[in-house]
Amino acid sequence: MTSRRDFVTVTLAAVGGALAPRWAGAAPKAMSVVHESSFIKAFDDFFVQKLAPEYEKLTGIKINYEPVSVGSMLTRLTTIVETKAGPEIVATGVNWPYLFDAGLVDVTDVANEVGKKLGGWHDNIYDAVVVNRKWKAIPWGNIGQLEVYRTDWFKEVGVNKFPDTREDLLAAGRLLKKKGHPFGFELGHGFGDNHGWLYPLLWSYGGREVDKDGKTVLIDSSETAKAVDFCRKFYQETMLEDVLGWTDVNNNRAFLAEQISCTNNAMSILIVAKRDFPEIGKVTDHGLNPQGPKGRFHLFNVQSHAIAAHAPDQAAAKAFLRWLYDDKQLSAWLVAGDAYYAPFLHGYDNHPMWNADPRYLPYKDCLRTSRLHAWPGPAGHQASESVAKYVLVDMFAKACRGDSTKDVIATAAAQLKQIYKAK
Amino acid sequence: MVGGHDLATRIRRLYLPLAAFLVLMLFPFYWMLITSIKPNRELYNARIMPLIVHQPTLKHYVDLLTETNFLTWTYNTMLVAVVTTAVSVVLGTMMAYPLARMRFPGAAVVAIGVAATYLVPQPLLFIPMSDIINRLELGNTLTAVMLTYPTLLIPFCAWLLMGYFKSVPRELEEAARIDGASRFQAMVRIVLPLCTPGLLSAGIFAFTLAQNEFLYALIFLAKSEVRTVPVGAITELIRGDVFYWGQLMAAALLGSVPVAIIYSFFVDYYVAGLTAGAVKN
Repeated sequence: MTSRRDFVTVTLAAVGGALAPRWAGAAPKAMSVVHESSFIKAFDDFFVQKLAPEYEKLTGIKINYEPVSVGSMLTRLTTIVETKAGPEIVATGVNWPYLFDAGLVDVTDVANEVGKKLGGWHDNIYDAVVVNRKWKAIPWGNIGQLEVYRTDWFKEVGVNKFPDTREDLLAAGRLLKKKGHPFGFELGHGFGDNHGWLYPLLWSYGGREVDKDGKTVLIDSSETAKAVDFCRKFYQETMLEDVLGWTDVNNNRAFLAEQISCTNNAMSILIVAKRDFPEIGKVTDHGLNPQGPKGRFHLFNVQSHAIAAHAPDQAAAKAFLRWLYDDKQLSAWLVAGDAYYAPFLHGYDNHPMWNADPRYLPYKDCLRTSRLHAWPGPAGHQASESVAKYVLVDMFAKACRGDSTKDVIATAAAQLKQIYKAK
Repeated sequence: MVGGHDLATRIRRLYLPLAAFLVLMLFPFYWMLITSIKPNRELYNARIMPLIVHQPTLKHYVDLLTETNFLTWTYNTMLVAVVTTAVSVVLGTMMAYPLARMRFPGAAVVAIGVAATYLVPQPLLFIPMSDIINRLELGNTLTAVMLTYPTLLIPFCAWLLMGYFKSVPRELEEAARIDGASRFQAMVRIVLPLCTPGLLSAGIFAFTLAQNEFLYALIFLAKSEVRTVPVGAITELIRGDVFYWGQLMAAALLGSVPVAIIYSFFVDYYVAGLTAGAVKN
């Protein structure tokens, strides 16, 4: 034991484990945690080099960390849950706790303890991880999608602060495009940067895909039409034409190649710029998504840990999560992540990691206005199907390509009605 | 024929088309090479000529070899590809020969079954396969992929070899049988040597497929030290929405070297194999 806190944590874990109804007498020798490999290599390294050895030293349980490639986590998770074999602790993203509900353990007790100790959970996180009133995953952070822009070029056209409304951003974009610094917002079939700005755009005009009941498709509305019209104008008057074919990697590259002055992205552009292109890093900043007539919104990209139902010793897996989400471990791990993951715990609202660079702060501020893709509809299989089929992305992209607002909305409405089995 | 013409004609009719073809074929490798030796600053600079390297660097190769398990992945890939290719060619031959040369009830149905098995998409198979591998407790071992790759490769090799076996005249085999050879001896001494190009074609294709396979390797090989190149490189060299292009291209280039060497050794047989049956003697 290295401190009183360690002693208390491990003792509580051991007592909890002993009281849990299970047959196994001895603690497992090893457990595995599977994660999508982090953009921040130091985040993965910290787990492997610091957290795992420390836990083994404390409990004798070896923790194997298994990173999988970006985009492959869902395949891996499906295999683990369907075959009931493999790592005991699995990372989940966005609404996956809903998709794998039956294959994940109820971790309400752990979540409540963590929340109590660390200032309470943000209210809107319940939508992502609480399924049928049971916590099926414990979130460690959000990978926010915000506006990333060149401060020097914005200043050149007289914009000293990132525009607060969509119309102001459009006006700034027109000036910047004339100056040879167009915008570049992804409209292709990538995995995040397209949804990252298009769902908030729809919501900010009052448009919705589906109602709370998950049965009433709401996309065919005047609010959606206004969002589509704005998007077409925004594309035509501010952007590079080839954004229609972009995926997530393209806007990063274009920004760092100084081809675009503004995009919607996670913090990765700034982090790479600071590391490899310091002169671009100095003039890169973040802004919240601008407000539309019906408010300001952002998209959730929740990252969580869950326990697979096949885990032979669920009490031991819970004990590990209790230890991992203890302030001493979680805090240091988040610092290693360079504020890339914004935690959902109020106790971390003023965490020192936010002081490293004031440009990180919008990623904390956006949590309050973040929603899951299908909001206000339920976060189940249908929501995932809509995302996987790029219903919303294609609606906006086709409008930008030149299709009429009426046609693109009708196509999206038909697809959504089929997905939600609505009349 | 272009052999008998003067130099100008030869250049126009032979060397220019050949040069154009070479450029087309080698361009992807050239692109891999220059991307792997460009510093990041050049990779992201849209204002300079992208086909030339202005300040070449070996940093991406050094990083690839020192900061990742690339050499281990390469060893794993080669081991898996060699073993699965050998197993698949031997078993594929054993399956293809009777289907092509012997008359027995149900042969046609089995032959169609072989083709159909090859056509079953991997995404339908990976969960049941994973279940079997877990029951055998082979997760995170190279044996897992050595056992599963032949399920793809044996039907492929058998299907390819059936065509070659059918092209060998029966009379040759019958002559050997009359001279006292058993069916096995006739197969080993007469048919297989005549089908060497086919065996090499099947082997090279099987090797390439095994080397490039992604889905089973992703599912069964979770630890870095047992990964193959395709899964290892993508796991460690693509992070979020940032691609480590230099290292990725270095890995792709180095990863293609073994196949290039194998092709260069067997290219004559391989080409003969591709054109077998093209001309009726």
